[in-house]
Amino acid sequence: MKLYDSFRSALQSLVVNKLRSALTMLGVIIGVAAVIAMVSVGNGASQSVQNTILNLGSNLVTVSPSFGNDNGLKGAGAQAQNLTLDDMRSIQDQLGASIAAAEAEQQAGRWQITAVGQNTNTSVTGVTEDYPIVRDWGLDSGAFFSTSDLNVNAQVAVLGATTATNLFGDVDPVGQTIQLRQAFGGGGQGGAAQRARILNFRVVGVLGVKGSTFGFIRDDQILVPLTTAEHVLTGRLNQVSQIVIKATSSDTMDVTTSDVSNILLQRHNIADPASADFTVTNQNDTLAALSSVTGTFTLLLGAIGGISLLVGGIGIMNIMLVSVNERTREIGIRKAVGARRGDILNQFLIEAIALTGFGGVIGILLGWAITLVVHQIPQAASIPLLITSGTVIIAVGVSVAIGVVFGLYPAMRAARLHPIQALRYE
Amino acid sequence: MIESVVQLRGITKTYRIGREITVNALRGVDLDIHPAEFVAIMGPSGSGKSTLMNVLGCLDVADGGTYVLAGEDVGKLSDNQLAGIRNKHVGFVFQTYNLLSRLNAIENVELPLVYGGDRHARRERALAALEQVGLGDRIHHRPSELSGGQQQRVAIARALLNDPSMILADEPTGNLDSRSSAEILSIFQRLNDLGKTVIMVTHEPDVAAHTKRIVRMRDGIIAHDDLVARPRRAEDEIAMGIGAAE
Repeated sequence: MKLYDSFRSALQSLVVNKLRSALTMLGVIIGVAAVIAMVSVGNGASQSVQNTILNLGSNLVTVSPSFGNDNGLKGAGAQAQNLTLDDMRSIQDQLGASIAAAEAEQQAGRWQITAVGQNTNTSVTGVTEDYPIVRDWGLDSGAFFSTSDLNVNAQVAVLGATTATNLFGDVDPVGQTIQLRQAFGGGGQGGAAQRARILNFRVVGVLGVKGSTFGFIRDDQILVPLTTAEHVLTGRLNQVSQIVIKATSSDTMDVTTSDVSNILLQRHNIADPASADFTVTNQNDTLAALSSVTGTFTLLLGAIGGISLLVGGIGIMNIMLVSVNERTREIGIRKAVGARRGDILNQFLIEAIALTGFGGVIGILLGWAITLVVHQIPQAASIPLLITSGTVIIAVGVSVAIGVVFGLYPAMRAARLHPIQALRYE
Repeated sequence: MIESVVQLRGITKTYRIGREITVNALRGVDLDIHPAEFVAIMGPSGSGKSTLMNVLGCLDVADGGTYVLAGEDVGKLSDNQLAGIRNKHVGFVFQTYNLLSRLNAIENVELPLVYGGDRHARRERALAALEQVGLGDRIHHRPSELSGGQQQRVAIARALLNDPSMILADEPTGNLDSRSSAEILSIFQRLNDLGKTVIMVTHEPDVAAHTKRIVRMRDGIIAHDDLVARPRRAEDEIAMGIGAAE
C-alpha cells in the first residue's frame, strides 16, 4: 500500500468524523499552543534580561577592589582601596590593541546641582576619556572630555540626558555652567549653621538616552574627569572604585580577563592569585549565570506546556482505540482483500499523525496569537516576542512524535486483528 | 493432467472454546477443485462448511493436512504471505457484501489493487469490472445509495479485480430477494462460462442447483460429492419472470 493511499484514507476518515477529530485535535492544539506561548515568553524574558546586561556595554571585563584581609582574618578588612588610575593606564599600555578600550571610575556621591534657576540632586561619577567607547554610549551633543582635561583636573562635566532636561529644559546645555553644591558642617535644619561648598563646572557634552538598568535610571547622572573627582570633589586620591575593560570580542574575553589579572597581580606584587586584592568579573560569566536562571524558568514553563501536550496525546490514544474498535469490520475487509499487517498499521498510524500534525500547526498559530496578546499587556510589552524557528520545529516534531507514540498501540491492535474475527464483528 | 486450483489432503481444524471444550470443525477433508468448476458447498450449521470456507480463502490456517492453492502450498505461510495469497488468488463475496461505507462503488472495487498487483491501470480496471457486473453507470454511488443486489454486484466486481484463481462466495444471496438472487447467480454463471472458478457456500438447495457440482459437509467431513446433471440457468429464470414474480 502506497503512502498516498494511506494519506487519502486517513484524511477521509478524519473528515467523516469531523467533530470527533476536532475535539481530539483540541488537546494537541492546546498543548502545542501552551508550549509555544510559554517558551516564547520565557525566551523573551531571558532576551530582555540579556539586553539589560548588554545595555551596560558589551564584552566588558570589570575589575573591582575585593575585601582585604585584616591580620589574617579574611574578609574582615574594609574593602581594599588599592586600584588606581595608574593600574588602568598600565593595562592600556600593556594590552594595547588587544583590547578595545579601558576606563576607570570613582563614585563621587550625590550632589545638589544648580543651573539657571533650576536645581536637581544627582550622582556624580569620575570617569576617564574612553568611557563612551567602553559603555557603547554616544553623546547627543558636545564632546566627551579628553586626556588633557584629565591631566589638568579640568572642571568640566558631561550630563545624562535626564539631568540635562531637568536643569536646562529644551536649551542645549553645552557651554553652560552648572554648580555642584555639597553641604557640610552644621547639622540639622538650621540653615545658618550649614556651610556649603560650591564648585563651578562647564558642561561640555550630553549623553544619549540609555534607559534604565535593573531600576537604576542611568540617564540621570553627571560625569566628570576622574582626576577632577579625586582632587576636587572627594579628595580620595588613587582610589578608583572600578576599572572596566572592553575586550575586542566575546571570544577574547577570557584571554583579556587573565591578562588583566596578571598585570594587576604583578603591579600589586602578589604572587598567589588566590590572595589577590581585586576581583575580575567577566560579563560572559554574568550572562551565563543569568541565562542559566532564565533557562530554568523557560524549561519550567515549557514543562507545563509539555504536560498539557501529554494529556492531548492520551486523548489521541483514546480516540484511536475507539476508532479501531468501531472499524474492526473495515479492518477485516481490508485484510480479506490482501492488506498486510504493515498496511493496517500505517493506515492508523498516519491517521493519528495527521491528527497531531494538524493540531500542531493550528497550535503554533494559536500559541503565536497568545504571545501577541501577552505582548499587549503593558507589563510585558518590553519583553521581546521570540518565536524561533527552533521552537516551531520542536513543537511540530513533538506533536508528530506524540502521534507516533500514542497512535502506535491502537494501530498495532488493529494490525494484529484476526481477519475472521474482524469480519464477524458486529 | 489439468492441475487443480484447490487441492486439500487430510485437512483438520480444531477450535477450542473456553478452557475445556474443543470442537473438531474439520476432521480430514480431501477435496480437488479444477479450473472453471462451479462448486456449491452445502451442509447444516456446525457441519464445518464455514471453517472449510475460511481455510479455502486463506483467512485461517488448517491444523493438519496439506492445502495447495494454484500450485502453492499455503500451509506454512506467515500472516503477511497469506495476505499476499488472498490478494492474488482469492476473490471474496460475502453475505453482507462487506463494502466500505465511506468509499464509493469504484473506490471499493479498487481496494484489492491498493494492496497489490498492477497499480497503474487501477481506475480503468475497476471501471471494466463494474461494467462486467452491469454497474458502469453507478460508479460514484456510495453503498448506502445502492440496493442490496447492486451492493453485491459491486462486491463481485471487487472480487474480480485482481483476476483471482477462484471466487469464494459465502451465502452471496442470503440477504437478497429472489429476483436479485437470480441476477447474482446469473453473473456467477456468466463468469464461470468465461472460465472462472467459483466456489459458493450455501444452505439453499435452490441456489446450489445452479452450480455444476455440490459438495455436502457433515460433521467435519465431506459426506457427498456429486455433479449436477443439469444446472439451472438463472438467465432463463429471469427471462421467464420467476424472480420478478416476487
